[in-house]
Amino acid sequence: MNRKNLSRWLLIISPIIAAAYLLWPTYRFYQLDQERAQVASDSLALEEWDRTYGEDYQSARQARIKLGLDLRGGMYVTLEVDVLKLIEESADQLSVDDDFTTVLEKTRKETDNTDKDVLETFLTNFRESKLSLLQYFPVTNQVDPTDEAIEEKLRKDVDDAVDQALQVINQRINKYDVSEANIQKQGTRRILLELPDVKDENEIRKLLQTTARLEFKRVTMGRPMIEAFYNIDALLRGEKPVEEVAADTTATDSTAADTTAVAKADTTAVADSTKADTTKADTTNPYAGLSDDEALRAIKRDYPFTYMIQGLFAQNAESSFNPFDFIMKSAKDFPDQGVYRFVVSEKDLPKFLTIMDRADVKRIMPVDLEILVGAKPQGQGAGQEGPAFFDIYGVAAEAELTGDVITEAFPSFDPASNQPIVIMDMNSMGAERWSQITAANVGKQIAIVLDGRIYSAPNVINKIPDGRSQITGMANADEANLLAVVLKAGALKAPVKIIEERVVGPSLGEDSIRRGITSSILSFALVILFMLIYYMMGGALADVALLMNVLLVVAALAGFGGTLTLPGIAGIILATAMAVDANILIFERIREEMAMGRPLSSAVEQGYAKAWSAILDSNVTNMLSGLVLIFLGTGPVKGFAVTLIIGVLMTLFTAVVVTRAMFEILISSGATTLNLGQKKTA
Amino acid sequence: MDLIKKTNIDFVTKRNTYFTVSFALIVAGLLAVVFTWSDTNLGIDFTGGTQITVKFQNASVGTDEVRSALGSMGYGGAELKSFGNAGEYLIRVGATGNATEVSKEIVENLQSTFSADQVTLLGADNVEKKISGELARDSVLALVVAFIVMLLYIAFRFEFVYGLGAIVALLHDVLLAFVISVLFNMTGLLNLEISINAIAAYLTILGYSINDKVVVFDRIRENREKHKGMSLADVINLSINETLSRTIITGISVLAALLVLVFFGGDVLEGFAFTMFVGIVIGTYSSIWIASSFVIWYSDRIKHKKVGSVHPAAAKG
Repeated sequence: MNRKNLSRWLLIISPIIAAAYLLWPTYRFYQLDQERAQVASDSLALEEWDRTYGEDYQSARQARIKLGLDLRGGMYVTLEVDVLKLIEESADQLSVDDDFTTVLEKTRKETDNTDKDVLETFLTNFRESKLSLLQYFPVTNQVDPTDEAIEEKLRKDVDDAVDQALQVINQRINKYDVSEANIQKQGTRRILLELPDVKDENEIRKLLQTTARLEFKRVTMGRPMIEAFYNIDALLRGEKPVEEVAADTTATDSTAADTTAVAKADTTAVADSTKADTTKADTTNPYAGLSDDEALRAIKRDYPFTYMIQGLFAQNAESSFNPFDFIMKSAKDFPDQGVYRFVVSEKDLPKFLTIMDRADVKRIMPVDLEILVGAKPQGQGAGQEGPAFFDIYGVAAEAELTGDVITEAFPSFDPASNQPIVIMDMNSMGAERWSQITAANVGKQIAIVLDGRIYSAPNVINKIPDGRSQITGMANADEANLLAVVLKAGALKAPVKIIEERVVGPSLGEDSIRRGITSSILSFALVILFMLIYYMMGGALADVALLMNVLLVVAALAGFGGTLTLPGIAGIILATAMAVDANILIFERIREEMAMGRPLSSAVEQGYAKAWSAILDSNVTNMLSGLVLIFLGTGPVKGFAVTLIIGVLMTLFTAVVVTRAMFEILISSGATTLNLGQKKTA
Repeated sequence: MDLIKKTNIDFVTKRNTYFTVSFALIVAGLLAVVFTWSDTNLGIDFTGGTQITVKFQNASVGTDEVRSALGSMGYGGAELKSFGNAGEYLIRVGATGNATEVSKEIVENLQSTFSADQVTLLGADNVEKKISGELARDSVLALVVAFIVMLLYIAFRFEFVYGLGAIVALLHDVLLAFVISVLFNMTGLLNLEISINAIAAYLTILGYSINDKVVVFDRIRENREKHKGMSLADVINLSINETLSRTIITGISVLAALLVLVFFGGDVLEGFAFTMFVGIVIGTYSSIWIASSFVIWYSDRIKHKKVGSVHPAAAKG
């Protein structure tokens, strides 16, 4: 093989290798997914399988070609901030009168079925009515008493409302554990959600439209939490819960341990290993003889809840934390005094939250204790390595104060230390309560809880008499911003409404994939066959290029992390049609040149040269319109444009460069005639 | 194989007849569409409202039963169509301002009337008027800008008149495909309502058709260099003949592929493929008979104007 041919072969083969590399995860994923589905019914086998293949499965899942909701089923939702409701709620309820309501109603009529900016329309109507905003909206010390300042504040509030709703929805969806949910902000007023594999769309609707509640709760970390953890373990093992014992802490220690021990003895299924751990002092480690794998399995079985929790303990606030686990211990083994901290890894969080959400688990929780999890992961960034984890907090079940007393919250900087801080203001009623609460809890933590997740648990440094609090300890300005948005949830309920919702049932998705794929393969086969019959050898070369074209388009889509949708398939069809056309153009030209008596090599050269301008112009035209659609089109149209553009680029490569390389390989290996299906010329 | 031999057909002399026929077809079609118009031709993507597709396990559940169930829950005015397999129904309710609630109510009611395991929700779309207006506007805007960009590129690579010819032919293709789709939609054989997905089908027609036109124009560009003495009409007719084989072979192979999708593509692809099929037949026709003929017609008009304004002696020389 001469050197020129080598580079031609490389030109043909290297893209195929690259495509195979990009498509491998997709193949691997479907292979693993089938295997996984087979063991899915048996939870122990599933865990076992996940341990062996879990990582492989997840990484293949990440890199595979994603199918759009129209092909795989799921739920697509567009939410919009209900600006009118927000205006209504942030107005001072005592001063709202008919004039104000008239303006609101007028705005509602004008904006109901249009996409006009609601806030701006409202403000215009308001100005026309010659009313003053000052009359209706409370002035805080942060806002100058002018209409302009209030307008600015309203604009800011609307913007913040989206971020706040985004926070709450993200947390709720995470908890719901919808795999591969995609949640993003669109523009300044909207949130888009794509949720594959939704089982109950009503549940999602409820989850999206319930308003979040902001509360302040006292943090109580300590041994009662450990008792609660062990009780949940017992419950999950299928043992009778320890009734009502946790309420009285001093009495519980021994009783709790005793009852669990009795209960354990009753349960024969787990008797062997668990008996050992309750009588830990005088027996050997029940997990000693087991391999790592078996031990882990046994531990997961015996400690179905606490195995997820990592404990940390320090003698006092000054000493450093030492990690501990819950294996072969009981609540009474832990000291009463000292500083506790508990964390759960990001991987286990959905399971942890699901368990905490169970009605039977809630029933056995002590009445004065609530277990909550931090909203933000710890352990990433700030120089810390390793997987992310979330803090677990114990808080007093009853809230000290609810967030509706907050009038304003905004991020700022501490002039002394130049650290980001958040300033929070309360109304007079709140300020009074707040001064009592802070006075009673100096040196202790108060958690800021939004929608059941803890966003911050600052230490109370001193009594705050005037309702203006300053919260420190944020790592950066973004964190301060987020906290301010969260605190605002107290003053502002971020009303959102669903303006677009599409549900594709899984059965329709499945059916459309199956029929779509079979019919596409069939129609593709038809084209391949046609080219082969019509252009013989030339058709065979073109067919190779066509197959390569489809392979490269799909591989590129996988490489870019794109999503394949129905309109996307239309884009691929168009691109394939243009690839077929490019080859037909070239072959017709070569036939013409050969009919004029040119030798093969020069006919091929001329054929490509003359067909090129038409191929280029038509492909560029389509690419330009594709670009327009990417910038101006909505979701589905964009999907079409993306695959079209990828397809056009690949067409120019496969239909022109690759087929030519193949022709030249044939010619240089001595071919002087080629059957392009032309009539034999005399 | 060689289906199309070297041809020498006159495609351009009777151009006025083709224009008239096409124009008459479009006008008659549009009139028919206007007179028979119902909003059911537009998907809820563009009208707003609720659209639910359900499947009854018991395929013998008839339209009447479903309609009376809808009536008893206060949605007697809802549009009801059977589609796809037996027992599959599409229910549509116009925009109410609270589409999600409507959808929830209908599904829950059907499930309680026919028992929950009898009724499977295949899909539900709830679109508020607010967003449907936006979708329609954005789609039209995207189409218009795409048209302009194509016109400019072809004007730049060829001549302005070719860009114009291409756009006229594309409008012709899209309008006729639209008319045929809408009229065919009324037969109820296929679901051809104009939705966001249908827009992608029209875009595909445009893409294919412009490709077709560019190929002919490219040959004209080449032949004008080659045969300098020939009249424009002759050069164009020669070019159409020379590219005829390619035009037809490409058309056949793509149409064959689409036909498979029409018959076996399933509920989702069939309507899509049908619109494309119709569009590509029309596109192929306009590549041969309309686009280039428009170029001749328009060039003639300009020439006549010029002849009128230029001094006779100069025109002679």
